Amino acid sequence: MAMLEVSNINVSYGNVQALWDVSIHVEEGKIVALLGANGAGKTTLLNTMTGMLKPTSGEVTFKGERIDNLPSDKIIEKGIAYLPEGGRLFPEMTIKENLEMGAYPSTLWKNRKPDLERIYGMFPILDERRSQLSRTMSGGERQMLAMGRALMSNPTMCFFDELSYGLSPKMAQEVFKIVKQLHSEGITVLLVEQNVYQTLEIADYAYVIENGRIVKEGEGHAMLEDDYIKQAYLGV
Amino acid sequence: MTLFISILINGCVLGSVYALVAMGLNTQYGVARILNIAHGEFIILAAFITLDLVTKNHTAPFVGFAVAIPVVFVISFALHRTLYKRVKDISANDGAFEGNAILAAFGIYFIVQNLMQTHWGSATAAYQFMPYSVKIGPADISAGNLVVLLIAVLICIAYNLFLSQTRLGKAIRAAAQDPAAAAMLGVRINTIMALCFAIGGVLAACAGVLISMKEPFTSISGLGYTTIAIIIVVLGGLGSVKGAILGGFILGYVGFAVSVYDSGFMLSVFYLIVLVLLIVRPKGLMGR
Repeated sequence: MAMLEVSNINVSYGNVQALWDVSIHVEEGKIVALLGANGAGKTTLLNTMTGMLKPTSGEVTFKGERIDNLPSDKIIEKGIAYLPEGGRLFPEMTIKENLEMGAYPSTLWKNRKPDLERIYGMFPILDERRSQLSRTMSGGERQMLAMGRALMSNPTMCFFDELSYGLSPKMAQEVFKIVKQLHSEGITVLLVEQNVYQTLEIADYAYVIENGRIVKEGEGHAMLEDDYIKQAYLGV
Repeated sequence: MTLFISILINGCVLGSVYALVAMGLNTQYGVARILNIAHGEFIILAAFITLDLVTKNHTAPFVGFAVAIPVVFVISFALHRTLYKRVKDISANDGAFEGNAILAAFGIYFIVQNLMQTHWGSATAAYQFMPYSVKIGPADISAGNLVVLLIAVLICIAYNLFLSQTRLGKAIRAAAQDPAAAAMLGVRINTIMALCFAIGGVLAACAGVLISMKEPFTSISGLGYTTIAIIIVVLGGLGSVKGAILGGFILGYVGFAVSVYDSGFMLSVFYLIVLVLLIVRPKGLMGR
């Protein structure tokens, strides 16, 4: 039994169907990548797994429990954290307030103080600037804050949407290092990326999504050698 | 000197009430995206409720808060859950919703105003509240006005503490800055929107009770306050609570200073300020 199981889901925006019969599973303790071009349906899939969208058919289970009919706060309480594309920080709130919002669901809010200290310990740069507004931070610092906010809920599984997008190569490497560290601490990771090469290097397993359908899947390193992936995504 | 102190204090009184009115409108627009043309009607409804309590039930006007706040909260919350939810469902996108919501608010404005006219008539309403003055330096300042100022400032402080310190307050600010991101973190965005619309109504109700204490009003005075609130919100910056407070006090001072000369010029001067501001700083004083 996989930790996260998406079975044959169909998702539509009004009359436009965005996902067709999509199934993925993520085993506990693994890093799984979801690759695809812009508009392929990656974010739609993430939004469905986090309760923002409801599938018209199919189901999503987490640790054996159905979650596709739950609201987002209940899904977060079950241990799934979501870092949306671009970080989506609150620009006019301080670093501390942004982090606190990561523990918004009511059962988490009560324990937010020790969680704040844990995150400050992980990211000392945030500790130094607790009361600074997030809009005054640099791109890399913002991504640290976005990761810190996602980790505030003490998740057992993290969805990271375009973590490296818009970051300098050095900063991107830094971010991937943190992902590996989280993984070594036992957190299961689902990476959604356009940065295919770096992602496949650290992923145990990968899915490729095109036009709302899963078109390919396999072990991370095997995918790096795959002719189709090389041609379509790595440009070699 | 006497005139100076009088403007200093009475401008502050007017400004504190304006700030409440504008904060309410801003809370409704900032999160729920409804430019509530009927805002002033709920101010006047609260003023009439207080008038009845004072003249018919012989209570202190402060009891007006205990009655008007829950009444306006429930009406506003229910309006958002029914009328505005329906408007949202039939609007193609967020932009269309904002336009349709203004039209719906106009409807509410006519209905509430006519109901009030039917029930309370069109005559000017007022009651006496602390009808004596205190000497501050050489100037005579109405004691009632000072109480109004004190209460308005306390409500402004309490509301800002609510927004900056409580879980709900933080959720409201997050939802105002990025509703989708707030939803991803587990904020129930539809509930927050309805609550914000209702909280905006509560601020209108508070302003209404205070206005009934300090000046006469009629069943058609509401639109005047809505207009002033919109001017302040444009002046202070859309969605900025601090901007609403700053803008409220600026208009309060300017308004009182102009009314010493001729109160007929008040709105013209307000519009002139906004006109200049829109040319110099189109996003408002505190807007981003």
